[in-house]
Amino acid sequence: MARAQDAPSIEGDAEERRLIDRSAAGDQEAFRQLVIRHHRLVINVAFRALGELSLAEDVAQEVFLKVYKALPGYRHEKPFKHWLHRVAANAVTDALRRRRPIVSLDGMEQPPASRESDPLDVATRHDLQKAVRQAIASLPSHYRDTIALQAFGELSYEEIAKTLDIPLGTVMSRLSGAKRLLRERLGDLVHGEEANTA
Amino acid sequence: MLSHATARDWLIPYADGMLAADERRRIDGHLGGCAACGAELREVRELNLLLVTLPPAPPTSVAPFWLKLQAVLPQRRALRIPNFVGYRRAGLAFALASIAVIAAAATAFAAPSALPDNPLYPVKLIEENVQLALTPANDRLTVQLQQAGERLREAQAMATDHKPRLAESSLRAYTIIVDAAAVSLKRPATPQVTKDALHALRAKLDAVERVNANRDDDVAGIKQLVAAAVDELDRLEQQESVTAPALTVGEQATPDPTPKATPKPTPRPTDDGDRRERERD
Repeated sequence: MARAQDAPSIEGDAEERRLIDRSAAGDQEAFRQLVIRHHRLVINVAFRALGELSLAEDVAQEVFLKVYKALPGYRHEKPFKHWLHRVAANAVTDALRRRRPIVSLDGMEQPPASRESDPLDVATRHDLQKAVRQAIASLPSHYRDTIALQAFGELSYEEIAKTLDIPLGTVMSRLSGAKRLLRERLGDLVHGEEANTA
Repeated sequence: MLSHATARDWLIPYADGMLAADERRRIDGHLGGCAACGAELREVRELNLLLVTLPPAPPTSVAPFWLKLQAVLPQRRALRIPNFVGYRRAGLAFALASIAVIAAAATAFAAPSALPDNPLYPVKLIEENVQLALTPANDRLTVQLQQAGERLREAQAMATDHKPRLAESSLRAYTIIVDAAAVSLKRPATPQVTKDALHALRAKLDAVERVNANRDDDVAGIKQLVAAAVDELDRLEQQESVTAPALTVGEQATPDPTPKATPKPTPRPTDDGDRRERERD
């Protein structure tokens, strides 16, 4: 389900490194180039997590501002994109928790009975997505940060391991734990459905 | 035989396609006879379906996003140095006059050799920018190379003084100066002087790295910045060797518009040639 990102070329790496160093030294034009390169990635992560474009753009602003402030301490020890994913995942899960409703998920609106006959119904899908986001926000932090990278960042297990600096086995166990809790908390939303994808 | 408990543990990585082929076969075997695991797998896949169907953002424009972001970006020290490009003439004159007065007053206190940990260091940078702005285009490269050398001197001093962050800052400022001079370096007015200046920069970079390496707590960031700077010098020197015009004198200095054909010597037969002849036969 996760999609591996294309590996950047060596020239691309060198150019990105130069942009990072110049941005760290205060060159805003270089930082603008970095933003142009990664804007779509951050917006997508934020939008998948929050479901509203204006909120996603606000969080993306936060992410790039944090990145700009932290760039002088960036040491090129891990790919910039992994670091950016981590900052973005932290920012969106914080935003999710801020927005999390106080009511229990048990009281959440259940999808209508006609859902099975029309699974692509837009309103139903919107409710499902909202429920998933809220359920992710309710997870313990180590589960939440890991599954956010998979669900919102669309990272593979290997990319999550590199981004969080944890072994692949730990990613597996965290995702397993996170998904067990999600199934429990989403209740009937994931019960009795015929899944079509692996 | 796979136990029910182990099979349950593996269902999520199984659904994510993360198991090896033999592990998948074992799960497949278990699923054939375990209705509970089959039902659980359907739930896992349903959850995965929910997760992957979270939609990406609709298309957005980066330009307004950047403008909003730029408005809140903090100004770093390097950027507080005024950029004179684009100023109107009156504004430029006023700014130059003001800075000249400030610089003149500060010069008495700020030695040209002020280091980054000196409170008057920003004045030194302003002086350098004024100097560069007032330098004729033909001489700018020389000034830029001098300033690049000065950044390396500062980086070495800061590394020696166990101030790695300031050393890194000077190395980054060095990189910016060299980048800005890159176009001029492709066609230097005085190739030999430029070549000597690049050699001097390389020696200074080596000195920074030596100082850093000799410390017990050598800093990876300094090492990386120096390595990147040396790579950039290599690249510039290669460009220079490729693009530098050869010095020609005498008849060769003005070649004929239509060069005469040069008679080629008749090739002598070699052992290889003999062998090829024999092979053709």
